[in-house]
Amino acid sequence: MSDNVPAPLPGQSDKVVQVDKLSKKYGDNVAVNDISFSLTKGEVFAFLGPNGAGKTTTVEILECLRNPTGGHARVLGYDVSKRSDQAEIRKRIGVLPQDFNAIDRLTVRENINYFGAMFKHQLDADKLIELVDLKDKRDEQFKKLSGGLKQRVGLAVSLVNDPYVVFLDEPTTGLDPRARRDVWGVIERLKSQGKTVFLTTHYMDEAEYLADIVSIIDHGQIIASGTPDQLIDSHGGKKTLIIRDAGEEGLKQLPPGLPKAELRNAGDIAIPLHNGELTNILMSLGQTPLRDKEIEVRRPTLDDVFLNLTGRRVSEEGN
Amino acid sequence: MRSRIYTIISGHFKSWYRSKSNIFWTIAFPLLLIVLFGAIFGSGSTKFDLYLQNQDLNANTPTLYSHGYINALNNTGAFNLHVVAAEQPDPLTYVKSDAQPHNRGQRLLVIPLGFNQTLKNGGNATIQLYMDQSDQASASLAGIVRSVTISYAASIAGAPDHLIVQQVGIVTKNIRYIDFFIPGVIGMTLLTTGVFGAVNTNGRYRELKIIKKLATTPLSKIEWILGMVGYQMILATISLVVILFFGYAIFGVTATIDIYTVGLVVAASLLFPGIGMVLANFVKEAESADAAANAITFPMMFLAGTFWPRETLPDIMKIIANFMPLTYVNDGLRDALIYAEPAQALTNTLIALGLAAFFIVLGSVLMNWKEE
Ligand SMILES: Nc1ncnc2c1ncn2[C@@H]1O[C@H](COP(=O)(O)OP(=O)(O)OP(=O)(O)O)[C@@H](O)[C@H]1O
Ligand SMILES: [Mg+2]
Repeated sequence: MSDNVPAPLPGQSDKVVQVDKLSKKYGDNVAVNDISFSLTKGEVFAFLGPNGAGKTTTVEILECLRNPTGGHARVLGYDVSKRSDQAEIRKRIGVLPQDFNAIDRLTVRENINYFGAMFKHQLDADKLIELVDLKDKRDEQFKKLSGGLKQRVGLAVSLVNDPYVVFLDEPTTGLDPRARRDVWGVIERLKSQGKTVFLTTHYMDEAEYLADIVSIIDHGQIIASGTPDQLIDSHGGKKTLIIRDAGEEGLKQLPPGLPKAELRNAGDIAIPLHNGELTNILMSLGQTPLRDKEIEVRRPTLDDVFLNLTGRRVSEEGN
Repeated sequence: MRSRIYTIISGHFKSWYRSKSNIFWTIAFPLLLIVLFGAIFGSGSTKFDLYLQNQDLNANTPTLYSHGYINALNNTGAFNLHVVAAEQPDPLTYVKSDAQPHNRGQRLLVIPLGFNQTLKNGGNATIQLYMDQSDQASASLAGIVRSVTISYAASIAGAPDHLIVQQVGIVTKNIRYIDFFIPGVIGMTLLTTGVFGAVNTNGRYRELKIIKKLATTPLSKIEWILGMVGYQMILATISLVVILFFGYAIFGVTATIDIYTVGLVVAASLLFPGIGMVLANFVKEAESADAAANAITFPMMFLAGTFWPRETLPDIMKIIANFMPLTYVNDGLRDALIYAEPAQALTNTLIALGLAAFFIVLGSVLMNWKEE
């Protein structure tokens, strides 16, 4: 498989993807606006953003499907804008397009071999089937599978050439929570195998759970990047104390002198925590009937990060 | 290493034979049409068609003996007599052109001017019977005409040898409706499988992101198109063979497969998928592309002489038919398979190949392999 080894680039050989001031305009619409980031070998990178943020446009530029209108991007050291380099990139990347469906009337196995045949070398179909946990469905036609299983076939297909980097464009959108977890399981397995994964998603919990590095993109621009912890620490805001199911009544029972509390999610009381306040608050709560309620301390999530950065929340549908 | 084109062909082919509706539309439906149309129009009556021109008129009324002779023919009940006007200067050509659309045998009996007079004078009158010796019915038909003639001559003159039937051989292929119809069904099947196949593998595969996925692999657009065309050629060959086989088995339609047939099948497998690709690129949504394909294939099917000869169409429709690619495929297939007219087959094959090159190139250029 010697021709599968990417050309080494002096001093930057561990940079699998490098994006430098990349832009893409569709007419007057600036879909991607001057973004820069990079992916290191073995990393799971999440590109997190709402509908229309420019995620697909960016990924498809890296997959050599679209031409950038500004800036540069390299994948495995090859320039995505150079024709001869594109051929080299295609041999070495794995792609799961957004909303991908395999061929309806081919079986799981046949689909894997179909897409595998497009490459010079392909991984053994049975090994991939095992990886995505589809052994019982191996000879089932694609159209007969449920949404979650279909998506796992897509994952297997994206890995068929043993790629150096896998681009997964919204791999769990539209799946039920159970199926989403299964897909996460596969991505975790890839991570443990040391694969570099470029994931786009509008699910905050998905990015938080899977990603080593998260870049938040909104209106074509990257508004924050870092590990999930870094993002939460710097943009997530304060921890919150939650008193479950306390209701209006609970608000009245709160001891005086606390930070301003609010009611959330039909009856939960939320109290923002400042550093070092937790013990005092808990002690004063112990004097009230609220001490019998379920009390927890919630760390901010990427949801809060996004809210703090943009003033909006992203819905389940990604809007 | 398996070839990419082979993989694409086999993928399309598996998808085809695993779909019951595909099998229905490409195999069962054409056969159903053949059986239905063949049963309705294909089997002529048990009487023999016979065109008759009576030139022996007196002030526009048949003379006594010619009238009597025609009656005698009629009384046998063996003939459907079709009268050709006496003014018709070239009755044979008329018969040739009239018989085919009406699905009749091409046989002509001519009673000459002076028939009545000659017999009255005790001379020898000659009747001409034009017919194709290879016509299956020729022997029995000639036999009946001869015996009617002999007994009629005996009844009027007491001398059977006064009336002579002169048999003139003409070369016609006796084309029945079903012979005409079978190449049309082949053309229709090539049209629908080609157009709808391309709409499906380009329009629908694009919607399913299969094309996008393939575009991220080393596969090239040309390989993809070659794979599709290769698959269409296999399908076209299967259709041709199956339809001809059943045409022969059920209706005894004998067809000659020659180089033009091959050329036309190749042309059709480029031309109709090419049209489908053009459609799929103009109408982006797969479902609308399907509707557009219906809107194009149905009128084409009817106007291009699939079910009945274009000669029967109104003039304006005939002109429109000249712009329908299927017209040339249908005509070429008929010339090649049934009429054995190599010169006409060549012309139609060349036109079909030209159209094929145009549409497949246009479809390929229009197709977005990468950026939408
Ligand atoms: N082919 C195209 N032509 C014109 N505009 C486009 C095209 N593709 C995307 N856009 C526009 O570019 C912007 C970014 O779209 P993109 O698909 O990259 O977003 P996304 O983050 O992937 O969104 P989603 O979560 O909906 O997939 C949107 O405003 C979109 O309308
Ligand atoms: Mg997208």
